[in-house]
Amino acid sequence: MSSPCCGFLAQYTHHHLVAFLLTFFSYVLLHASRKTFSNVKVSISAQWTPSVQNASSPAFSPGETWEEHNLFADSDGATLFLGVLDTIFLFSYAVGLYMSGVIGDRMNLRYVLCFGLCGSAIVEFVFGTLIEWLQFYNIYLYCGLWVLNGLLQSAVWPCVVAVMGNWFGKSGRGFVFGLWSACASVGNILGAFLASSVLKYGYEYAFLVTSVLQFAGGVVVFFGLLTSPKEVGLCLESETGLRPVERDADSHRPLMSDEEDEEGSEEVCDGGYYTTRQGDEELRETPKAIGFCQAFCLPGVLPYSLAYACLKLVNYSFFFWLPFYLSRNFGWKEAQADRLSVWYDVGGIIGGTVQGLISDFMGKRAPVLAVSLLLAMGALVGYSHSPPDQVVNAALLATTGFFIGGPSNMISSAISADLGRQEALRGSQEALATVTGIVDGTGSIGAAAGQYLVSLIESKLGWMCVFFFFIVMTGCSIVFILPLIVTEIRAMWRDRRARTHKL
Amino acid sequence: MTAGHSQQNAAVVLLFIHVCFSGGYQLTELQGLCHLCNGTVQNGTAVSQFCSASAGLIDGRCCLLRKENVRDADHVIGLDLSNCSLSRVEDLRDAFNATTIDLSLNPIVNLDDSLFEGFIQLANLILPANLVCPGGNASWDKVKVKGETHFCEGQKDICNQTDYLSLNCPENSLCVPYGPGFFQCSCVEDFRGYKCLREGEFPIIQVFGPLAGSTVLVSILLWVTQRRKAISV
Repeated sequence: MSSPCCGFLAQYTHHHLVAFLLTFFSYVLLHASRKTFSNVKVSISAQWTPSVQNASSPAFSPGETWEEHNLFADSDGATLFLGVLDTIFLFSYAVGLYMSGVIGDRMNLRYVLCFGLCGSAIVEFVFGTLIEWLQFYNIYLYCGLWVLNGLLQSAVWPCVVAVMGNWFGKSGRGFVFGLWSACASVGNILGAFLASSVLKYGYEYAFLVTSVLQFAGGVVVFFGLLTSPKEVGLCLESETGLRPVERDADSHRPLMSDEEDEEGSEEVCDGGYYTTRQGDEELRETPKAIGFCQAFCLPGVLPYSLAYACLKLVNYSFFFWLPFYLSRNFGWKEAQADRLSVWYDVGGIIGGTVQGLISDFMGKRAPVLAVSLLLAMGALVGYSHSPPDQVVNAALLATTGFFIGGPSNMISSAISADLGRQEALRGSQEALATVTGIVDGTGSIGAAAGQYLVSLIESKLGWMCVFFFFIVMTGCSIVFILPLIVTEIRAMWRDRRARTHKL
Repeated sequence: MTAGHSQQNAAVVLLFIHVCFSGGYQLTELQGLCHLCNGTVQNGTAVSQFCSASAGLIDGRCCLLRKENVRDADHVIGLDLSNCSLSRVEDLRDAFNATTIDLSLNPIVNLDDSLFEGFIQLANLILPANLVCPGGNASWDKVKVKGETHFCEGQKDICNQTDYLSLNCPENSLCVPYGPGFFQCSCVEDFRGYKCLREGEFPIIQVFGPLAGSTVLVSILLWVTQRRKAISV
């Protein structure tokens, strides 16, 4: 008898692998270009301002080299504008997410995904490279382009999660999605390395490289992605398929549900893993896409969305401001700070995977989240008091990333997939992209509001208060998912009692 | 005569006119400075001695570098505006390459601070006695007052001065002298651009060539293995 591990993997074909890798790397490239912007903030700020001098000394000459650009009089104004750009981006990203999820469930996922990737690449090219080559600096142009970028990028996440949800069913979803949701962090790492190695040629080349890469990714996705097994005549394995840990009563119960045990989803495919169903395809009606309000009212969507809003605020504040904080607070060079900020993402990758695995074994997700978030509050306290030593700082960063990035990755991927394919839908409605859009959209609104608050708090009260704000937000996210935690823990006690009764 | 030939003629005429006008414009500019006041370079003055020593061409009050027949603003190597009844000197930029400038015996009240910015070759400056050498006495090797005139001789390299400690050029740039009491921060070798932030030349072909190639390859590979068998759902 084959070990559970091999059995687990045997159900996947090379199509699964390609779908995994394509969706993984398309989001990697997207996040890499997003990260580019945060990693070149210091250089862009230098480009927009004249040279700084004491009041008594004369300005440097020649003027073209030192004084000519004054989009902003000093670096404070430039920093504030960079924060405004972040906020604008996240708000338009949030608005776009609400729409794109709905669109993705109704249109061909491949086209939407490709359109988002390539369109966003073009806008980033104009924003970072073309403007610099033309030397045409304009505040309104920057804002307009970044709004457009947010709207285009929002098309990507719901589509990739939907494609993954199509290809990977309930069994092992926590682990597979945990591994897959590392894409955001891998993208951050890739973006950080690309930016820091190309930065010396000029920040415009960092934008050039990442946007061309992203465009190439869009092209590859267009030619290579199969959005669901149905496109090649395969069907998703039934919900009662092989799972890494067998539990008698649990194997038929969906991973996330507080409803009575359903008979099993009404998927047309039954028994076996893959059956080609050409004949029966016509009999089965194509699933309708769910309405926005209906999706919002699905059980679990609202609490997880609100919790994700708080969590994404903290996560994205680290994402956007970490290199800046490191170079301003500790005085390290920008390229060094970029490399150091990678450790947060490393922690996030490991956290997402490990916690996804644990939640698969337990069969419950909310308790895992709760424990991780409690420990995250401690990690934040520890990081805010980090000494200026780079090694210690990196270690603390990785720990913080583990405890914050883990739940964040889980909510945005595995849990969204759970919510979008839960029993309440009875498999007759396509809700995956819509639900993902709602969860991530609410998260982005929280993150957007947070960016402005972070720069406000920092300028008035300093970095310590910013960390205190993060701790409060983490606490809030625990509060929001408290009802779900209570329900799941009660269910766990019930099962344990039921099992001890049987023995 | 064919049509083509007359076209060629027209082009030549146009070119000739363009050269005349552009040359003439420079000529008038130069004439402005060199003929700011009447007369020509006096015999026995510092400028005339310098001019004969360097075999220059005298034109009005200027000493021009003898370089065939081209009269260019770059080639004013000496300027003698003494005894011109000038009360104000506004713009001497056409003579920025001059080695000797004489402004003595003029009722000038004061000189603009930036008047001599960019005058890197200036080694001999003669001013009326009431004026101070530009850049202060510390910018010149020798300063002496003789009767009605003030002699400033030998521009010092400001970048080498130890008392100008505050002359810190920003990162990636070096101090270069730019006239008496002036300096510029110009980018170190290999650095360029605004604030000398950019280093080196980005290898576009080496980066994007392989990228394009691999994109095409991967797309073809994936299309063959994945999408070729796709049925529309």
